[in-house]
Amino acid sequence: MKGCGSVVLEELDKREALRYMGFGSSAPDPGTLALLEECEKRLLRVIKPCFVYRCFDIKAGNEGVEVLNTDLLLRGKDIGSHLSGCCKCILLASTLSMQADAVIRQYEAVDMAAAFVADMLASAAVEQVCERAEDRITAELTEFGDLYRTWRFSPGYGDFPLDIQGKFLDILDAPKRIGLCANVNNILIPRKSVTAVIGLSEEKIPRARQGCSICNMRDTCGFRKRGDHCGA
Amino acid sequence: MGLKELSEKKEFILLDGAMGTMLQAAGLKMGETPEAWNIEHPEELYKIHRQYVESGSDIIYANTFGANRHKLAKCGYPTDRVIKEAIRIARSAAEGYDTLVALDVGPIGQMLEPTGTLTFEEAYDIYKEMVIAGSDADLIVFETMTDLYDLKAAILAAKENSCLPVICTMTFEENMRTFTGTDIAAMCLTAEGLGVDAIGVNCSLGPKELYPVVEKITKWTTLPVVVKPNAGLPDPVTNLYNCGPEEFAELAEKLLPLGIKFIGGCCGTDPRYIKELKKMVTGRKYVQRNVQIPAACCSATDVVVIDQPRVIGERINPTGKKRFKQALLEGDIDYILGQAIEQIHAGADILDVNVGLPAIDERAMMVRAVKALQSVVEVPLQLDSTIPEVMEAALRVYNGKPIVNSVNAEEKSLNTVLPLVKKYGAAVVGLTLDENGIPKTAQKRFELAKKILDRAMAIGIRREDVYIDCLTLTASAEQENVMQTVNAVRRVKEELGLKTVLGVSNISFGLPSREIVNHNFLMMCLTSGLDLPIMNPNIDSMIATVRTYKLLTNIDKNSVDFIAHYGGEGSGPVKKAEAKPVMDLPYAIENGLKGEGADITAELLKTTDAMVIVNEMLVPALDKAGERFEQGKIFLPQLIQTAGAAQACFEVIKQKMLSEGGGGVSKGKIILATVKGDIHDIGKNIVKVLLENYGYEVIDLGKDVDYQTVVDAAIENDVHLVGLSALMTTTLVSMEETIKLLRKNNVDCKIMVGGAVVTPEYAEQIGADFYSRDAKQSVDIARQVFGN
Repeated sequence: MKGCGSVVLEELDKREALRYMGFGSSAPDPGTLALLEECEKRLLRVIKPCFVYRCFDIKAGNEGVEVLNTDLLLRGKDIGSHLSGCCKCILLASTLSMQADAVIRQYEAVDMAAAFVADMLASAAVEQVCERAEDRITAELTEFGDLYRTWRFSPGYGDFPLDIQGKFLDILDAPKRIGLCANVNNILIPRKSVTAVIGLSEEKIPRARQGCSICNMRDTCGFRKRGDHCGA
Repeated sequence: MGLKELSEKKEFILLDGAMGTMLQAAGLKMGETPEAWNIEHPEELYKIHRQYVESGSDIIYANTFGANRHKLAKCGYPTDRVIKEAIRIARSAAEGYDTLVALDVGPIGQMLEPTGTLTFEEAYDIYKEMVIAGSDADLIVFETMTDLYDLKAAILAAKENSCLPVICTMTFEENMRTFTGTDIAAMCLTAEGLGVDAIGVNCSLGPKELYPVVEKITKWTTLPVVVKPNAGLPDPVTNLYNCGPEEFAELAEKLLPLGIKFIGGCCGTDPRYIKELKKMVTGRKYVQRNVQIPAACCSATDVVVIDQPRVIGERINPTGKKRFKQALLEGDIDYILGQAIEQIHAGADILDVNVGLPAIDERAMMVRAVKALQSVVEVPLQLDSTIPEVMEAALRVYNGKPIVNSVNAEEKSLNTVLPLVKKYGAAVVGLTLDENGIPKTAQKRFELAKKILDRAMAIGIRREDVYIDCLTLTASAEQENVMQTVNAVRRVKEELGLKTVLGVSNISFGLPSREIVNHNFLMMCLTSGLDLPIMNPNIDSMIATVRTYKLLTNIDKNSVDFIAHYGGEGSGPVKKAEAKPVMDLPYAIENGLKGEGADITAELLKTTDAMVIVNEMLVPALDKAGERFEQGKIFLPQLIQTAGAAQACFEVIKQKMLSEGGGGVSKGKIILATVKGDIHDIGKNIVKVLLENYGYEVIDLGKDVDYQTVVDAAIENDVHLVGLSALMTTTLVSMEETIKLLRKNNVDCKIMVGGAVVTPEYAEQIGADFYSRDAKQSVDIARQVFGN
């Protein structure tokens, strides 16, 4: 079905999870590798990853970027520059499903190391779901096939406020269609979920300029300390 | 006319179609609050309702789906006004027709605990407000629910604050579950138990895809069934749905033979769809269903049908267990969760939960335990308490259909427990004893079983929901009466047709080789018709007896389950002692070997003082791992595995100290909390494991913790080190506020802070005493504070 769907992941991105855990270029120990295998199996058995998206026309205004036909206004200079030159945007929401939260919770009750590994693996997995969703968008929105696409920009990046999460999800009908909500503190629930804005432009889009410079975490980021980056 | 008369008069009851998509067609912007239109554009609502009324809807849903205080916060109108207005508009649109007006209630829009942060009690309050505001309606509809827990809060709010009939529908996906994993049978068992009037499915899919969902619903409820499908799914660009009115009605027609009573449309449908439905049902007869719902209990995700022996794990119970009592006194929920998971791995189908201890607030602990258990285990629970207030509190917060343990044939018990069982739709264990104690003979116990059954059925409890416990007496004291129990089990099963339950382990009390007596007695009882042995599944011979019974009675077809458990190499029920590699404690800890670490510790404790083991072996091994972590030689998962192994060793030491009547190991008390508004707690939990393994006593306040809770806990427990964690820039302010409040109350404690977004500079700025970079550093800080 167009605009909404489930994703079957055959495997989870263990390399990425190891990177999140801080292994960098070091070879992981057998214990961690075994945990990764176990957590991957357990997660794959129960998660029901899915996504929902919609495409809107946008218009840059004084207070932010207006998403037409909705009452959503994308505020902040960072989302503004992300969408500069774009005529449309896609609002995308992906989730690994609440079964992922349950697995992590179950591990937390008996084995913190496994809980940690499962948490990192689930974080990597939700990015995989977004990638798959983008593939589906490409296949489904053929009428916009000749437009250039920006990368995914999420609420909370730079000065793009988190407090639009609720409205963002309402517009996609995400609570009903993929079971994704935001709580009063704008935390996505299920936890391993992503909302993102993808711009569509007739002009070629210059390579991402922002990277770490706009990130809230730039002062404390463990990746940066090691000369690495998180990949967002 | 009310719902009852309408049901009697009509073969089928037609509901209305979509409201949201109709409002959008009338100009509602996406993201706008549809219920605000009750105040701002009542004429548009009138038009939509009127079209449905004229198309043939017998019930129209007022525009109140999201009129809860949480969703209305966006537009500023109060729930009461929005709902009253909505019902008034719907009523005026129904003028001249017999059409009923429903108070329509959708999910709050926030997920409940344990996945979300909204508590069950808060959800209840929100629904209660809506129910009271909607008292002018003819009925209450809860729809588009995806979480059984949310639905339970809603149903209770309706039943306790209104006399109106209640219809509830959930949204199921193609995998036959809701997004939160709620099983169709679990919805039916739970909602019917709570006393709703009709049950079914809405939204989610089109009428074609919903067929298997509807089919399953019709098999799991005796109530009228409701179906309100979507017109397919919307296109991502045009937002148009893909199933037209004629096709919709044709597909819906195929659902009639399943025995549905209510039919309407959800997203994407409009008055044309209702007209087609009306045409389609005209002249058709309602198909009566004759369903027999089996004896079963459930969580939201797991339904356990009592159609063969099911094991009830008995270990969550402090009776005779010092370590368990200690855990209750310390509020150590993790210990209880560990006991639960161990039993499930061993083969328990259901878990008994008893947290009764005179020194604690049993009610509060029961609620905490039930909530914590249902956040990590999927098996149904058997709630076990002798205090009715505790039982009711547990029944309220339980998500699913539990078993109540127990009622007995005493008048007082029958009069207090059975109404609770009925109200909350539980199953119940009936003990065959009364004011005169446990009767000696099988005949007398059989009579008491019958009395309990009659009394239960007299107040509307289903026969299938009464499980009888004929009570085990100890063979050492009353050898001549053992067979009375076995015979009573047989008679209750055969003559009353009831399920039977029995705690078996008591049989061997006071005898040597208890295990041998227990599993043989268990086999005798199973053969005589025992359905629900309450036992310790962790004992191999006990669970093996149940598996053997199922094999020999052809329940375990082709011995699949038996072979799965005992068919592999060396996996027999009786494990031979394996030769262990030569290993010392530091090696086991460094390599994260929990089982080995625990075994070595137990061995060492025979010759070595506990504190010597802690200070000279455990702590140095942890220090070494910590150093290697700081040097980048090992990484966080390894550090946590090390800590996990040390934790297993500590557990052994703790058991030993308690059995010798001493206290635990405590080098100092530390409070840990993830600050208010933040629910990222994995980092805090890692810190906790490490601190505990250095011998610190951690009071874990959890996540999203109120400022005042931290202050109260610090004062009450005389704590001198508080650790606060935050992972979001938006919750850093909560960290600052918590510190301010601690200082304002002059709490004599040091404060350490940490979490991804915290910097040393920020820590200093908000008045923390220490910034902790990682779990290892928090241990260094604790050592500095406590000087050990």
